Parts: sequence; C-alpha cells; structure tokens
Amino acid sequence: MIKTEIYENALFETIKRGATEISPDVRGAFVDAIERETNPDARAGLAATLESMDMSSVRKNPLCVDTGWPIFYFKVGNRCELEGGFVELENAARRAVAKATRLGYLRATMKHPLTGYDPGNNIGMNIPDFTYKFVDGDSIEMSYAAKGGGSECFGGTRHRIVAFADGIKGIEKFVIDSFVASARAGAVCPPSVLGIGIGGTANVAANLAKKAACLRTVGSKHPDPMFAKIEEDLYEALNSLGIGILGAGGNTSVLAVNVEYAYTHIAGIACATSTNCMVARRASTRINSDGSVEKMQSPMWFGDR
Amino acid sequence: MAEYHLTSPLSEEDVRRLRIGDTVYLSGNAFTCRSRLQKYIFDEGNTLPFDTRERNLLIHNGPIVIKENDKWRLVSFMPTSSIRFEKWGAKSVREWGLRMIVGKTTMGEETAAAMKELGCVHASPRSVSPNLWIDSIEVEDVYLFDELGSIEAAWFFKINELGPFVVDIDSEGNNYFDRLDEQIDEHKRAALEKLGIGEDFKFTKLY
Repeated sequence: MIKTEIYENALFETIKRGATEISPDVRGAFVDAIERETNPDARAGLAATLESMDMSSVRKNPLCVDTGWPIFYFKVGNRCELEGGFVELENAARRAVAKATRLGYLRATMKHPLTGYDPGNNIGMNIPDFTYKFVDGDSIEMSYAAKGGGSECFGGTRHRIVAFADGIKGIEKFVIDSFVASARAGAVCPPSVLGIGIGGTANVAANLAKKAACLRTVGSKHPDPMFAKIEEDLYEALNSLGIGILGAGGNTSVLAVNVEYAYTHIAGIACATSTNCMVARRASTRINSDGSVEKMQSPMWFGDR
Repeated sequence: MAEYHLTSPLSEEDVRRLRIGDTVYLSGNAFTCRSRLQKYIFDEGNTLPFDTRERNLLIHNGPIVIKENDKWRLVSFMPTSSIRFEKWGAKSVREWGLRMIVGKTTMGEETAAAMKELGCVHASPRSVSPNLWIDSIEVEDVYLFDELGSIEAAWFFKINELGPFVVDIDSEGNNYFDRLDEQIDEHKRAALEKLGIGEDFKFTKLY
C-alpha cells in the first residue's frame, strides 16, 4: 500500500517540476527549431524563450506567468493500492495545488465562471481535473499538465463533424483553417504542440485531442502509418504558413502535430483540435507498490494507446 | 524597421514616429491591468485611484508577485492577450491618456482608430521569456489589490530597457498582423493545394 505522505509529496514535486522545468523533448524541439528558423527576429525570440525556460529550472520559478488549468492524468495499475483510496488521492492533489500556489509555483488563476470569485488557491468546482486510465500492474503514474489560457481560450480548442464524403481532406482542411484562425497575432502562443482527435463522439474526440497535445512525447509518431502520415503532412503544411513564434512571422509554427483516434459512427467523423502553447508544460512521476518514487522524462500515456 | 529605446512617461512625439514592425525597448514607469480592472472602472462606475497622465504606458498583464520581508517580489511576468480587452480599449486610450499599450496579440479597429486620433501605439512581445524581463522590472506599488486581487490589481512598475517588443499598431492605424495575414493566406492556399485540397473544396453540410 502506498502511503498518503508519499503520493502527496510526489504530487507536489510533479506540479513544481511541471511548472518550472521544461520537458526534455520540448527542449529538444526548441533547439532544433532555433537551428532551422530562417527569420532572424523569430530565431531571436525562440532563443530568448529557451534561455528564459532554462533559467526557470535554476530559479525554480514558473516557465510562464500563466500557469494554466491544473490537469491530472493518472495511469493506474489494476492492483495499485493507495492509503485512503482514490478519493484521498484527489484530496492530496488539491492540497498539493494549493501549496504550489501559496509558494508561487502556480499563479492563482482559477476563478468562479460567473462571479469571477478567486479562491486564491486554484481549487474550485471540478478543478483540478482528473482523468484515469487503468492498466495491468500495481504502480501509479501521475502526470500533471498546466494547460495555458492563451492556447485554450483563443480558438485553440475546436471541433467539427466531418462527413465520410470529405474524409482525410475534410479533416486536414478543418485543422489548417482552425490553426490559422487561432494562431493569428500569436493568440495561442505558437509554436504549438497541436493535438488532434479523430472519431468517437465530439467529447471523445476533444479528450483525445487534449491528451495528444498534453501527453504525447514531442517528436513521437503515431504507430499506425495512416495516422503518422496525417501528422507528417500537417506538420509540414502548418510550418509552411509563415506564422512563427507568437504569430509575428517565421517558419516555426508547430513543434509537433499529434493525432489520436477512436472508431466512429457511420454517420460522421468527429474531429477536434487542442492546441498546447510552446512551453507545453507537464511532468510525470511513477510510484511503485513498495513506495519508491521515480521521475519520468515523459508521461508514457500512449504505450498501448 | 527601426529600433527605439523610449522612456515613459511617453510624449506624443515619441510614439507618432513609430511604425509597425519597429522594435521598442522601454524604460521609466508603467502600470498593469486586466479585464477585471477595466470592468470595475468603465462598467461599474468606479474611479481609477491614481493619475495616468504621468504614467501613460499600460501593460496588459497579470503578474505573479509575492510579499517577502514586507517587500513585493516579482516572480513572473509575461504580457497577456490584449485582444480580449477590445471592449474597453478605445475608452482606456481616451480617458487614461495612454501613449502605449504593451500586450500579447493585438487590438481591434476601434482601439486602433482611437490610437490614430490621440497618438498611441500597441506593442507585442516576440518571445515568452519572463526570466529575461523580471530583472528589468521593479515593483513600486499596487492599487486595487483588496478590491480585485493580486492578478487583476494595478501594479506600478519601474522598468529598465524592457523588451524587445514589436510595434503592431502604429498611430496611423496600421496593423502589423493584418499585413502578415495576407502572406499567411497565400501560404495557406499553397499548403492546401499540396495536400490536394483545392480552392473549390466545400465541406459537406451536415446540419
């Protein structure tokens, strides 16, 4: 049985790491982008962003002032046992978010949707958000994603039902139209990690898109060549648009395009996009049944899809 | 496209010479606001508790500031999207006598028209680099902290060579991003064409 103290500390450390340290895969994508970028102002902007992100790891301050919606993904072994059970896991996550806010690793960003009331600790109705996936085993993998307001609010999250008559062309047209509209003037903080969900009901597609944006390792490919081809074609298309960092021009508009899919109804193909900002904050930790804690370089959410 | 190093309070002359695409670095004094403050003043009929004539540089921003040993410490700073404040943009320029607004993205036509009439510009960041900026900012004071909370309060900053920012709306009413949009649309047509999606493509209407 994994003790409350162990998973609560691990949750806090995961939040802190997600807020203050750039993931190695995102960092790698920045280094590559700086090498490839031909617009000198965009290149300087990418380099300044990377320099600032590297300083955050040392100063232990947030990578960006907007520390986003707090979102947790738990990949749970079927035989995993937690002291206090999963209700206590969620309570511990809330306590860890409040602590991280109090210590300045997170900004108090979550507000009541109607009154604007700010609890000052990022805790409120249905926030933080929790998603679970059950797998074989007895460990638990915890991923924290900080989904920024820019990428979420300014058209980065969209959906459309595409007819089978329009197929892949319809999907690709929807994605390109959506991205251009949302990246104007840098609204979604490009270069983006663009997640795309294809199939399922509209909410299934939207959830797949969010996971594709927040949990896929940047640089990974979908194992099915049909979907990998869509990722590759869209990556190339979007980087040819000239949007650039913060929309001010340049040839780095996306760091990654990640597609996930579900079977869909014969009547239509739900498609959704979820855009993650250039910082693409996340961190993951594994706790084994003996209570040992391991930092993970990447969420490893999709190993078995 | 020129580079300027300006000090706030800014004069009309300072900003009238700026053109879209120019780069600016800013020193002097500035204040912050987000939408809650503009709503509080313009929609809810409250009075701004400070004078903006000698502090005419507004930065749209909700910083992270914590109190340490009775002093404010700026933990993080990044300009936030101006476009969502369009509702109060022209009013802010007019009633607060602003000469420059710094924010991510840009602002709309009404604000641009007020900027043209009164002599004001908008400038936008080219990176997400809080750590390169916080060392150039000293927190001087805060207003409306109790009423609006830390993020939405009006923070007074003393800044030193803060930048670079690109001028995206100049005082002639030009918008840098509108110009860029024309190029992006052209590239988009080519990209779609390459994927076999011609200009005649129409989505099958489902409802």
